[in-house]
Amino acid sequence: MKKSSIFGLIVIGIAIAVIVVIYAGASTYGSFTDARKTESVLRVVGHLDKQKELYYDAAKDANYFSFYVKDSKGEECKVVFMGTEPQDFQKSEQIVLTGQMVGSEFHASEILMKCPSKYTKDKLDVTDVRAKSASI
Amino acid sequence: MNKAFQGEHLLPGHLGQFFVILSFGGALLSTLSYYFATTNKDALDSSWQRMGRWGFYINSLSIIGVCASLFYIVYNHYFEYHYAWSYTSKELPVYYLVSGFWNGQEGGFLLWTFWQAVLGNILIWKAKSWEKPVMTVVAFSQLWLASMLLGIEIFGAKIGSSPFLLLRKAIEAPIFSQPNYLSFIKDGQGMNPLLQNYWMVIHPPTLFLGLASVVVPFAYAFAGLWRKRYKEWITPAIPYALFACMILGTGVVMGSLWAYESLNFGGFWAWDPVENASIFPWLILVGGLHVLIVYKNSGHSYFTAVFLVLASFIMVLYQSFLARSGILGETSVHSFVDNGLFWHLVAFILVFLGLAIYLVVTRYKEMPISKKDEETYSREFWMFVGAIFLGLSCFHLVLVTSIPVWNRIFGTKVAPPTDLVSHYNIIQASFAMVITVLTGFSQFLKYKKTDTTKFFISTLVYLAVALLITVPVVYFSGLYKLHFVFQLVMLGCVYTLLVNGKILIDALKGKFKLAGSAVAHVGFGLMLAGAIIAAGTRGLVSVNESGTVAIAGFDKSAQGNKISGDSHENMMIYKNEPVKMGPYVVTYAGDSTSLPDHFYKIDYRRYDDKGKMIESFELKPKVQLSDKMGMTSSPDTKHYLTHDLYTHITALPQPKEPASADGQAAAAHGDENDDKNYDPPISHEIAIGDTIRFREGYMVLRALKKETAIQNIPITDSDVAIGAKIDIVSNNKNYSAEPVYMIRGKNVFDFSRTVDEAGLKLRLTKIIPEKNKVEITVYQQPENKKPWVVMRALDFPFINLLWSGTLIMILGFLLSIFRRNKEIKPV
Repeated sequence: MKKSSIFGLIVIGIAIAVIVVIYAGASTYGSFTDARKTESVLRVVGHLDKQKELYYDAAKDANYFSFYVKDSKGEECKVVFMGTEPQDFQKSEQIVLTGQMVGSEFHASEILMKCPSKYTKDKLDVTDVRAKSASI
Repeated sequence: MNKAFQGEHLLPGHLGQFFVILSFGGALLSTLSYYFATTNKDALDSSWQRMGRWGFYINSLSIIGVCASLFYIVYNHYFEYHYAWSYTSKELPVYYLVSGFWNGQEGGFLLWTFWQAVLGNILIWKAKSWEKPVMTVVAFSQLWLASMLLGIEIFGAKIGSSPFLLLRKAIEAPIFSQPNYLSFIKDGQGMNPLLQNYWMVIHPPTLFLGLASVVVPFAYAFAGLWRKRYKEWITPAIPYALFACMILGTGVVMGSLWAYESLNFGGFWAWDPVENASIFPWLILVGGLHVLIVYKNSGHSYFTAVFLVLASFIMVLYQSFLARSGILGETSVHSFVDNGLFWHLVAFILVFLGLAIYLVVTRYKEMPISKKDEETYSREFWMFVGAIFLGLSCFHLVLVTSIPVWNRIFGTKVAPPTDLVSHYNIIQASFAMVITVLTGFSQFLKYKKTDTTKFFISTLVYLAVALLITVPVVYFSGLYKLHFVFQLVMLGCVYTLLVNGKILIDALKGKFKLAGSAVAHVGFGLMLAGAIIAAGTRGLVSVNESGTVAIAGFDKSAQGNKISGDSHENMMIYKNEPVKMGPYVVTYAGDSTSLPDHFYKIDYRRYDDKGKMIESFELKPKVQLSDKMGMTSSPDTKHYLTHDLYTHITALPQPKEPASADGQAAAAHGDENDDKNYDPPISHEIAIGDTIRFREGYMVLRALKKETAIQNIPITDSDVAIGAKIDIVSNNKNYSAEPVYMIRGKNVFDFSRTVDEAGLKLRLTKIIPEKNKVEITVYQQPENKKPWVVMRALDFPFINLLWSGTLIMILGFLLSIFRRNKEIKPV
């Protein structure tokens, strides 16, 4: 067998190993109901319930931030994040949480926000513009 | 019929749009002419070529026209244009107006097409016999970029997105039915405060120059296959490939330096999909560059060289698709939202991919692929292996980063691995380890064939020395606490540094030709070592050693799972209350405002064992508060030679709307209201010289004296006014206050004094002459009413290795460019 063929096989082997590792490590997007059923870490897509209280009291614990999220199926759950309120958090229109259920709370290790304001500001500002025209 | 609107400046927009279309026309003319010039059998007929050049000149000049028009609009704040309105505002200084220019997607394309035009002109000047086929490819790529900016509708389909779109066409709102709508639009949206930074001025142009220059080696490879000049394209392509690698690498590292210096994610690399995408082409092209050199020196690895060079440009197109199509919405914080260019971007990739595949397939049989196997102990074989591993590293990044793309194609809903950062770190470190070891020992190999005994002796000797050095490095840097693979990377780095250092010394002694690669490899090794140490042994300084207040049931449950790993990094400190953090005593000393920035003075001190202060400095992390963007925090960093102390603000008290109103209200409604801001008062009966203790310190009554004036109330002879001179020591700082007690007629008044810095209010409430004592009432602010900040402080050891390694690598690329450029014989 030629050396290049052996090397080719090794490369294909590594490529397959990489795919397997990614596949094994891949998580799923789920709901809070799914999170209750499993012990493992998963991602939940939802949005912030702006009616409910965002709790952060630096004097008690500077690394405890809690809030309520409605997942894509409409179920609401209290979420705890061990850190401070991320930038633009309250402006987010969608939140992707990574974490798991602990009792009745979802403990998030990562929060990813999709903010309408950051790159396309058009939507928000149309209301701005309207407000201005209304006041004439 | 268009309505007339008052105050609009339509001319620069029309002019700009005209130039956009002209640049498209120029690129089209150039592409076609160069194509016919290339395929024309009559070698003496240069009319097509001349036309191709003219087309390209028109394209280049129109791009300058587009830039000038757009800048004119931005500079003059013509907010009737969507672009100016979206990305700039009146208060932005000129240099940010320049960067506002490439804030949007259209500006990015403009920058890209501008650089590509510059490179095209260099090629017209330099490429000689390669001009026709190479420029066909470059002009074709220009054509696609120009089409991205067209913004015209053909049969209902929007093609491209123009930077000259009017606001009233971009957004639908009733206001635009009024002819004088512009008088209501006073200002633009302004720039995201995160982008208001000098890096925003220099990083995008550098990155886009890097991306744009990848087209040149691609065009050479393409032209080589097309014109069946299979071997000749390699030599002229090498300097351009070196240039692209150098600039692209610089651009990427600038981005991470920017993130580190002024963004707040606490590091220099976050494995965000958009960041990853920017290194796809770099990894592939660095691999491609190595096999180009292999082919040039040994005749091996031809197919790999063609494949990698072609793939590098496809990766440029793919990363542009990832960043701009909006497909990364759920996984990236950086990506743009789709501008309606999704399928346009896909087509851009597919056309170039299709052409490249077509050429490779049709020319495969004629390619000068060597039938012989490489020798095992030859440099070419191991350089080839290294290039393949760079490709594999990119393959892994592409697979994971593209998860949203796979979801879209196959209709699945797979999420990226949950512990994404360590997933990337471990797998990429494994590839890095292989690559560093290869860049080490392949230096001992010669092309063709090497004396094996000599090779093994030097390889093993250097490996042993590297091991001896790595062990203490791993021990003292704390790397031993990490995954085993990171220690192996460190070994690889030390090894490659040693070997390439030796080559460099040899080079300086005479074989100067070899200096370029040795310098670049030394830089690469340092860069990697710096990145591993800084990211891997990053230390948390903001740890509360007095213990955090536990939230019931939280800490216990958190210990059971992995989540708590990275958290608990924030610490709250009250103003003027020193707190011990790691080796420092840290005090929040105050703040200052220079709009739009609020600076928080964080005072750091370090003491030796005997309590003597050995170091003292102040960091001023900055926060911008705005209604539009919320709180935006930027760190401040103390740089040492061997490590960096990084500090940023992560939370602040809610903006106290009533703060200033409060003071006035208190004055108006008497003291009662104000007292609510304090804990219940405590009265002390004391004599002169007595001490009162309170939470943060003590105070001493120094003297009682008769006052002659109180603020602006004149004191007459019938009045009695007594002031109590009190010295206060709070948190080792000295203050003084003088509350006053006054009897006027039958009425008793007392004038309280507040010491805001110490959160105190003092009243002289009674005078007890029989005991020779007075009553002092102390009001103290409860802890949560006092000003505070929550901050995070991190220590990045040896991060300077990363930056200096990068500079050295750039220098190495430069040296190589000079060397390889000399090897081109004009044809």
